[in-house]
Amino acid sequence: MSSPRILVVGGGPAGLSAACDLAEAGANVVLVEEEGFLGGTPKKLHYSLIAPDLKPVQEVLDPLVRRVEQSGVEVMLNSEVASFKGSGDGFHVEVRRKGGPLESHVFDSVIAATGFAHWDPHKKYEYGYGVYPDVLDFKDFERMLSEDNLRRPSNGETPKRIAWLLCVGSRDKQVGKFYCCRMGCVVSIKQAMEVRQKHPEIDTYVYYMDIRTYGFWEDKVYWRSMEEFNVKFVRGRIGSINRGEDGRLVAMAEDTILQRPTEVPFDMLVLATGMEASRGTVEFAKLAGLELEEHGFIKPLQSDSLPVHTTVEGIFVAGTATGPKAIPDSVSEGSAAAMKALNFARRKAVAERQQTR
Amino acid sequence: MPIHEKNLVDKNRLLVKEEAKLDGLDVSGQWSTFIEQRILGDYSTDVLDAVASTPAGKTIVNCWQCGTCTAGCCMHTDFGLREFNPRYFIYLAQKGAEDELKKYAPVIWRCVTCNKCVERCPKGVRVEEVVHSIEGYMRSKGWMGDTPASRWDEAFVKNTLQTGVLDELALTRSYVSREKLAEFNNRFMLRMALKLVRTGRIRTGPLRHRVKGWEKVRGVAKEILEGGGDG
Ligand SMILES: Cc1cc2nc3c(=O)[nH]c(=O)nc-3n(C[C@H](O)[C@H](O)[C@H](O)COP(=O)(O)OP(=O)(O)OC[C@H]3O[C@@H](n4cnc5c(N)ncnc54)[C@H](O)[C@@H]3O)c2cc1C
Ligand code: SF4
Ligand code: SF4
Ligand code: SF4
Repeated sequence: MSSPRILVVGGGPAGLSAACDLAEAGANVVLVEEEGFLGGTPKKLHYSLIAPDLKPVQEVLDPLVRRVEQSGVEVMLNSEVASFKGSGDGFHVEVRRKGGPLESHVFDSVIAATGFAHWDPHKKYEYGYGVYPDVLDFKDFERMLSEDNLRRPSNGETPKRIAWLLCVGSRDKQVGKFYCCRMGCVVSIKQAMEVRQKHPEIDTYVYYMDIRTYGFWEDKVYWRSMEEFNVKFVRGRIGSINRGEDGRLVAMAEDTILQRPTEVPFDMLVLATGMEASRGTVEFAKLAGLELEEHGFIKPLQSDSLPVHTTVEGIFVAGTATGPKAIPDSVSEGSAAAMKALNFARRKAVAERQQTR
Repeated sequence: MPIHEKNLVDKNRLLVKEEAKLDGLDVSGQWSTFIEQRILGDYSTDVLDAVASTPAGKTIVNCWQCGTCTAGCCMHTDFGLREFNPRYFIYLAQKGAEDELKKYAPVIWRCVTCNKCVERCPKGVRVEEVVHSIEGYMRSKGWMGDTPASRWDEAFVKNTLQTGVLDELALTRSYVSREKLAEFNNRFMLRMALKLVRTGRIRTGPLRHRVKGWEKVRGVAKEILEGGGDG
């Protein structure tokens, strides 16, 4: 019996995990990634430390990338799926490397690990993103931290006081995003800890409605941020950002516990921007005929008991392509989808052999 | 025990006695002040049920108390009326804390209908309408009488019902004379009226706009307004 041929689309944590598990199990794997490197969004956007253990992103993802490179996966970087057709003998797929010719492949099964994108905070104009240079979003601030270059974009000075605003582009009917981003709380608090670790002189405030640091993130991140790093929490959502004196930002909020309006100056504001399905996820779903669920992510066949099956037989899905989640969950789903894809390919091969006999 | 910082305690809850005796012992003077308990003994669904059943108040159930509305509320911040806190009104209504809600009768009508709260609320609460509905509930309970705002609303509806289109000038005139607003004296009104009429921005009196076939619609509109409670 020849090896099953399996396509993995997307080289983030989920896709990497799926690809190397499949290769180690003896499958012929092609991994298609549109960027020029592996590692997904955390690498693309230069994340800094990864929660909950505050390890640098390289330490978390590079071993996974190396395993893929050493396990015989055919990695196609700068590549995209140009056409996709399912039929009785498998999935006929054309892949195009940037500037190159079309390459035709046939696969027995497919895994979509096409990931997420950051929500664009320009749409929440009252927070002044794009107007006030010191209002940053997650990707801006992660990059700043990873480059160890914590300065106010407006004047190059080290900030004295930074605020975070949770749930920007999440849990908000005004922008049509009804779901929780699952990462915003833990990442904001992690960022505040990182700031306090490197610059104990900077004062940090997190504006929240609720803190959602479920599971072990509670004590490892939330409690630790208060108890060890003295990160402060204000219960209230900022209504708008104004320009204050000497170019500082003024956060107009209600402190709902004090029950009074607050207009507190900050040197920087970080918006905890939510997660949405990446453009690549939506495009691949369309190409392959996968249904999307109501929030715009790929719809699992059953969200409770079949989370890595899609609505198309033989195509599986892993990671943030089905909704917000963390790296370990994405990695686990990659392995789960690998198992399902392998089984599907094997069953198909057995059925074919019985037919030809 | 002597009570320090009495200014921090709600005035209504301070009981001062001329003479006080505890177990036969005279404790007048410094020792004669007591603070009434403010334990909330129960929740009630009365206010919420009433408000949620009005067309204006039905989105009250969406509110999760984030405070975005109050953070931008003109009355609360710009006018500095701290007691006017739409988030808090909604909370009191949700929990049925009537005793506390009652205290806000003097301010709850002060909304200027700027609708910033509605624009920003992440949960789609029609905050401005909900606050009006809570106010309507309070009035129905007899906790507050009519207010300049409710009289304005009344005059507004009455005026609009005439032809289906508002005659702003007539409305302002009747309201101003009834409320005796000194700022809007005859000279001021005349100048404003002339300017508006001349620039064609307002049509008043016999020239006012009318909705075609309004006579028929008026009956229906009246019925809805009367049946729909506070609007
Ligand atoms: C600011 C922020 C901080 C975070 N920090 C942490 C943390 O500290 N700890 C933690 O556990 N998690 C963290 N996360 C979550 C973590 O980033 C995700 O769980 C993880 O990246 C998801 O992996 P993925 O493979 O599903 O998707 P992605 O990482 O988005 O990877 C998808 C890959 O697919 C590629 N792709 C997409 N579409 C196509 C296509 N059509 N064709 C080819 N290639 C395609 C993309 O280029 C990308 O490389 C954070 C998230 C955010 C937003
Ligand atoms: S994870 Fe936190 S920041 Fe993100 S939407 Fe949920 S509550 Fe808001
Ligand atoms: S903004 Fe909306 S959800 Fe938030 S407290 Fe006000 S009414 Fe409630
Ligand atoms: S409409 Fe009323 S409650 Fe809403 S922000 Fe304006 S003044 Fe405040």
